[in-house]
Amino acid sequence: MSTFWRSHRYWIAPTLFIMPGALLFGVVIILASVETIWISFFDWDGVGAKQWVGLANYAQLLDDSQFYVSLKNNLIWLAMFMLAPPLGLALALLLNQPIRGMRVVKSLFFVPLVLASVTVGVVFTWVYDPTFGLLSLIFSSFGSTAPALLSDEHLVTFAVVVAALWPQVAFCLVLFLAGLNNLSEDLIGAGRVDGARGWPMLIHVILPQLREVSFIALAVTVIGALRSFDMVAVMTSGGPFGSSTVLAYQMYEQSIFSYRFGYGAAITTVLFVIMAVFIAWYLRTLLRPEREGI
Amino acid sequence: MASNDIIKLVTRAPASRRQFLIGAGTALAGMTLGAPAIAQSKELTIISNIGNASQREVLQRIASAYEKESGVKVAINNMDHEAHKTAIRSYLVVGAPDICFWFSGNRMKAFVKRELFDDISDLFERENYKSVLGPAAGAVTVDGRQYGLPLGGLLWGLFYRKDVFAEKGWTPPKTMQQLLSLGEQAKSAGMIPVSMGTKEMWPAAGWFDHMNLRINGLDKHMALMDGKMSYTDPTMLPVFDKWAELINAGLFSPNGTSFGWEQAAAALAQKKAAMMDLAGFIKYGFPQDQQDQIAFAPFPEIVQGMARYEDFALNSIHVPKNAKNKENARDFLAFFYKPDNLSAFLETESAVPPRNDCPPSKDPLVNAAVESLKTVEGSAQYYDRDTDPDMAQEGLKGFQEFMAKPDRRDQILERLETTRKRIFKA
Repeated sequence: MSTFWRSHRYWIAPTLFIMPGALLFGVVIILASVETIWISFFDWDGVGAKQWVGLANYAQLLDDSQFYVSLKNNLIWLAMFMLAPPLGLALALLLNQPIRGMRVVKSLFFVPLVLASVTVGVVFTWVYDPTFGLLSLIFSSFGSTAPALLSDEHLVTFAVVVAALWPQVAFCLVLFLAGLNNLSEDLIGAGRVDGARGWPMLIHVILPQLREVSFIALAVTVIGALRSFDMVAVMTSGGPFGSSTVLAYQMYEQSIFSYRFGYGAAITTVLFVIMAVFIAWYLRTLLRPEREGI
Repeated sequence: MASNDIIKLVTRAPASRRQFLIGAGTALAGMTLGAPAIAQSKELTIISNIGNASQREVLQRIASAYEKESGVKVAINNMDHEAHKTAIRSYLVVGAPDICFWFSGNRMKAFVKRELFDDISDLFERENYKSVLGPAAGAVTVDGRQYGLPLGGLLWGLFYRKDVFAEKGWTPPKTMQQLLSLGEQAKSAGMIPVSMGTKEMWPAAGWFDHMNLRINGLDKHMALMDGKMSYTDPTMLPVFDKWAELINAGLFSPNGTSFGWEQAAAALAQKKAAMMDLAGFIKYGFPQDQQDQIAFAPFPEIVQGMARYEDFALNSIHVPKNAKNKENARDFLAFFYKPDNLSAFLETESAVPPRNDCPPSKDPLVNAAVESLKTVEGSAQYYDRDTDPDMAQEGLKGFQEFMAKPDRRDQILERLETTRKRIFKA
């Protein structure tokens, strides 16, 4: 027994440790994904019998004007979310000063990260409210009336993204703050000896050291933008008339409210493919230095 | 590697394994200790979708009284009203309670067709419900069998404040012309003529129902609901033309898509709006001491001589097919459905009792609805209760869009027609 263990433990122990995670990942992620793709070939109401329809759901998707609205909104989300890492970095640099009371200020900036996104959504809905919202108070103090952001089909997505950006910026801020704490004092000292200050210091000494953190911030932001759902659900329910719907919300709406699980699965599959592109890029970037390291 | 970094970055210290073990052990111990050790011999579970606190209280009271009488323990699980609409489809299949709340008519039929609701015709027979229910029994009947008990009926129409109307010398509009002129008067008084919040989309569909019933009548309306009539049919155009006229006259709340019905009802309560289209539950939007100011008026006539058809929505209560205690569930329903219990339950939402032997209501809103129903010649339920849920979703969205952008009428109807063809395979 003990010789068996000794000669095999190099693989038994890691296998045992990985097993629970792998099992969970296999069932919850892999199996569920495969099943979703499978369902997308059926006409199914979620309760009754499934009926094979082949690619009909996808063909319908191409004819669905709502699908293009959702796709466009996902792109708006993606583009606007790209503001989060630079804003987070800027704030982190600003807050990373040894000034008395800075801790309090820092924790104030962390607040949105602690709040559930539903809370953030509700708060921003109030801010945007055209009758009693903060925004309308600000506008009326200048003698004009605030636009009803959540009722305007062209502005609504931007308004929702701004609300979602708030916690996202805070998240990037935390990442960068942590990264700034891990900077190598030696390199900074060496830079200082060579006369680097201000911008050159930031661009040539600090930022290269933050490369990995930036990468994580970017990847998390991209994924956050693509899987946006909760904010849309809380603030607008995809409205007015579907103009703020994103793919994830459309999937939910079609499956849950319209009882079209097959169609919802097809939308999910499209979203999955889009995400897969980013995930592939993420994994590639992630694994490359590891392989080089070996 | 990067994920390792992220942990290090965020925590900056590896979590102590011992601490983790202690924590996990405590959690496990807590779970085993917390599990109930004694199994109940007889238990009845009810899933309720009631949002109103006082109605929940009444249900709890009835359940306690039943517990005392029968010795069966009753557990009520309250769910959020909107969340329940989605949850019911999974719990009817796996983990069904013994009794659940739902909506009669087409929405019930969807589950009956999938064999998820139990046939309770035997209970109907035993308690002789048919003789006391009258037409309400039809709403829970499919192919001559009954699959639920009808609860309160909601009669939809216009609501206004008595004190405001008395002060301004207004009378509830009886025709479109009067509605428009009342709108002008309300606007010059600085009020919104008709409070309408369409964030949840359905309020706009109620307005559509009224217009269509007043212009095209019940048969055509039901044909449309059943997918037998086209949305691009020429008879639909006058409905939307008239509606657009009202919208362009500024009759409805501006930016209506920004807020829900509760905020719209609050505007009526705060005298910022003159009228609102809803049912008796409008009183939830009013402070308790002002609820006696609410008055009901039927939707005005549009086509002269058209018989009066209204939206009259009936909620219902059911026994799921997969319930474990079907016998006790029937017993409880019989107890719950006694005239006294039922009317106490319905009083809180100002709903019209389905039984004709319930004691007369003290609620003026209920009595107004009962009185008004006497001249109603036929009723639909409500757009999203009468038509296919998939169709309803597109329809509600379309009506919401129409109220914001009436000039898109043709595109919207075109889209609804495409959806109708897909769903009803026409």
